[in-house]
Amino acid sequence: MKNRMLLAVVAAIVGLAVVVGIAKFLMHREYHAPYRPDPSVVAETPRDQGLADQKAEQEKADKEKPYQEVEYRAFPKIGSRVAIWIVAQLHLLFAAFVLAVPLFALIIEFIGYRTKDPRYDRLAHEFTKLLSVSFSLTGTFGAFLTFMLIILYPKFTSYLVSVFSITFLPYVLLFFAEAFFLYTYYYGWGKFSPRVHLLLGLGLNLVGTAIMLIANAWLTFMTSPSGISEKGALISTWDAVTNYTWMPINIHRIIANVAFGGSIAAAYAAIKFLGAKTDEDRAHYDWMGYIGNFVAICAFLPLPFAGYYLAKEIYAYSQTLGLTMMGGAFSWLFIIQAVLIGNLFLAANYYLWLGMGRIAGAEQFQKYIKYLLILVAICFAVWATPRSIISTVSEVRAMGGSSHPALGFLGVMSAKNTAVNILILTTYISFLLYRRSGKTATVKWAKAGNRAQLAIFLVAASIVIFLGVYGYFVEAAVRIAFSIPQVLSVLVAMISVTVIDVFLFKNAKKAGEPRWGQIAPVSQYVLIFIAVTFTWLMGLMGYVRSGLRQHWHVYGVMRDTSVDAFTPTLGFATKIVSVTVLIFFLLISFVFWLAGLGEKKDWEAKPKAAEEGAAA
Amino acid sequence: MKVPVSLRIAALAVATTGFYTYVGQLVPQKEVHPPEEIVIAKDMKPEEMQKVGRQIMEGKGLCFTCHTIGKSSGPFRFPDLGGIGSRAGTRIPGMSDVEYIAQSMYEPGKYIVPGFNPGMPEISKPPIGLTDDEILAVIAYLQSLGGTTTVTMQTKLPWQAGGGGDAAIGATPAAPAAEAPVTSGATDSAAPAPTTSEAPATPGNGAAPAPAPAAPGSGR
Repeated sequence: MKNRMLLAVVAAIVGLAVVVGIAKFLMHREYHAPYRPDPSVVAETPRDQGLADQKAEQEKADKEKPYQEVEYRAFPKIGSRVAIWIVAQLHLLFAAFVLAVPLFALIIEFIGYRTKDPRYDRLAHEFTKLLSVSFSLTGTFGAFLTFMLIILYPKFTSYLVSVFSITFLPYVLLFFAEAFFLYTYYYGWGKFSPRVHLLLGLGLNLVGTAIMLIANAWLTFMTSPSGISEKGALISTWDAVTNYTWMPINIHRIIANVAFGGSIAAAYAAIKFLGAKTDEDRAHYDWMGYIGNFVAICAFLPLPFAGYYLAKEIYAYSQTLGLTMMGGAFSWLFIIQAVLIGNLFLAANYYLWLGMGRIAGAEQFQKYIKYLLILVAICFAVWATPRSIISTVSEVRAMGGSSHPALGFLGVMSAKNTAVNILILTTYISFLLYRRSGKTATVKWAKAGNRAQLAIFLVAASIVIFLGVYGYFVEAAVRIAFSIPQVLSVLVAMISVTVIDVFLFKNAKKAGEPRWGQIAPVSQYVLIFIAVTFTWLMGLMGYVRSGLRQHWHVYGVMRDTSVDAFTPTLGFATKIVSVTVLIFFLLISFVFWLAGLGEKKDWEAKPKAAEEGAAA
Repeated sequence: MKVPVSLRIAALAVATTGFYTYVGQLVPQKEVHPPEEIVIAKDMKPEEMQKVGRQIMEGKGLCFTCHTIGKSSGPFRFPDLGGIGSRAGTRIPGMSDVEYIAQSMYEPGKYIVPGFNPGMPEISKPPIGLTDDEILAVIAYLQSLGGTTTVTMQTKLPWQAGGGGDAAIGATPAAPAAEAPVTSGATDSAAPAPTTSEAPATPGNGAAPAPAPAAPGSGR
């Protein structure tokens, strides 16, 4: 009964609401006479005169308007900084690719020329195929970036032009020269004598490097300006070019470009492998992917050392800048970097271990993989351990500080330097095992050679670990200096072991040739993962290099007074990096697709009868 | 159902970037804004100077990027500043504590504490670009660490020449001296200074104030 009453009340309320709604709807459509004021009370307005006066006043104001220099303009929706960030990063990614590929294409072509093996020539040609469209995209993004700078940051751009005006014309001329060399090198494949063609490739590399050196001068000047007065006036262009971070960035970029270019070329091969229809194609693209990855990893191994050199020069220029990078706003960025580099090492090792499967006689080395994996995992964990931990007040109290009582020790430079050096040595061992797979040394001194190699590894690892531990007991200045002998011991070990290995396996007995194409398809996804990770890493490190200046366009010289004069959170930065990386891969997929078009058959109109038959 | 290779590759690229973006969200999130300008009045008392000096050291001065206060053990990148007020006057013979601390900011390369490497930037110049008044406030705070603050806003130092952030392009021009009236004899006078005299010495964006005319009768 109660329920019925309640239902009736609800129904009444709903009914009332419906009636009121209908009434409102109908009343809106009822005719109402428009409002017309009483003519007797409306004053006569000189409207035309008023409008004419207003117009004249505006014209006068326009004529007298003084010229005002605009400091900033806003980019709609995403803001100027994000717009410039994305465009600059895309330009850099394509530029890196265009500079790197000719470098190893030339080396591969040269190997083909010396060994008379046509496979190398085909491989170098295939790498070069990716260049022409990428070159156009690099130029397009470069022009886009320039216009964006002029439009969005006119005052800053004008200042950079005032300092580097002398460098712009050579830059443009070199760009023309690069276009000449690149297109002649690509379209002239097989049309010139090998020596002439190699010379064209050399020219392409020299010009490309020169372009990079000039562009690097502009961007490094922003971080470590020199050659100017305290007020920012130019004193010496040469000093402005050869500023503190110029050479370290040049070296770091050349190496990083090669690593990045190799990984992208390997990704191209992986995509082709996964889509291959014949064993021959699979074998070719497996080999191409291997070479691309080999190039990438070879360049990747010395990259941390180039990074140390760059960081050292940043500290030498300004302790404040250095500490902002490693101990201030950006210190957590290096934990993200550790995750990326750790993943790269893991993936690179995994690819090598998978690759052993295509070599007959590799079984003897496969038992070592688990130990290598444990080493890689430990080093990865140490490298990714932060010094301080995000924790609650009670957790901080329990730990006795923001650092964990035990794990906190792994968060300092001594532990990280040790971890990365051991990681490099481990990856090198993986490569060495891969290289030795299916081979038996036939030289008389094989046993002694093996022992010597093992001894070199042990000595290098001991030096690295000893200095890493000893670093906890000395002052910062001494500890930082320890990184040099650590790095040198690893480099010396890798070089000397390689030299021994080359002679050790000269005329070695082979169990069989590598069965190219017979590798698990997952390996190809590993190559693509490596390429995405490399690209993401480049985006992240590009951010720290640029963001390091914080609220300065030119550090200590020209302040950023725009609305974006703050350093965003790392979370925000990683989102922008991800968006940029995905745009890049979308565009590079287009490049890959274009490069593959040449292999397709020409379009031919289907015979009418066949078309009709198909329709039926 | 067989997933096409192109879709698998796209999913891998998206998943990889997604994972790294996720890692980026796990670390501490902090926006770093340009240092805020602190209004410095010419009639500040020592306690006020100390408070302002501490604020400057935490913010615009970036002092704690390298220095610590009261850290008893462990590796030191740069000297710990705990007790600096008591030992500053004994570092260099013939140099008072105020002069020693001032020199370490204006000309940090002149004297390096044994056991440490040079690395301190000239604090009166960009990128940090503290003004003379801000440096006085910092000295007041540092003197209080184990000593007594004797410096005042009227203290004259040989390095003072209106340095500071005005060398930077893009900085807002300093307020003319005439717009920053200084209460005469602030240290001698017991009368509180009128609030109107607290003209901001640092109008913003790191600009240095124009050197104010010396207050008659002032001195240290």
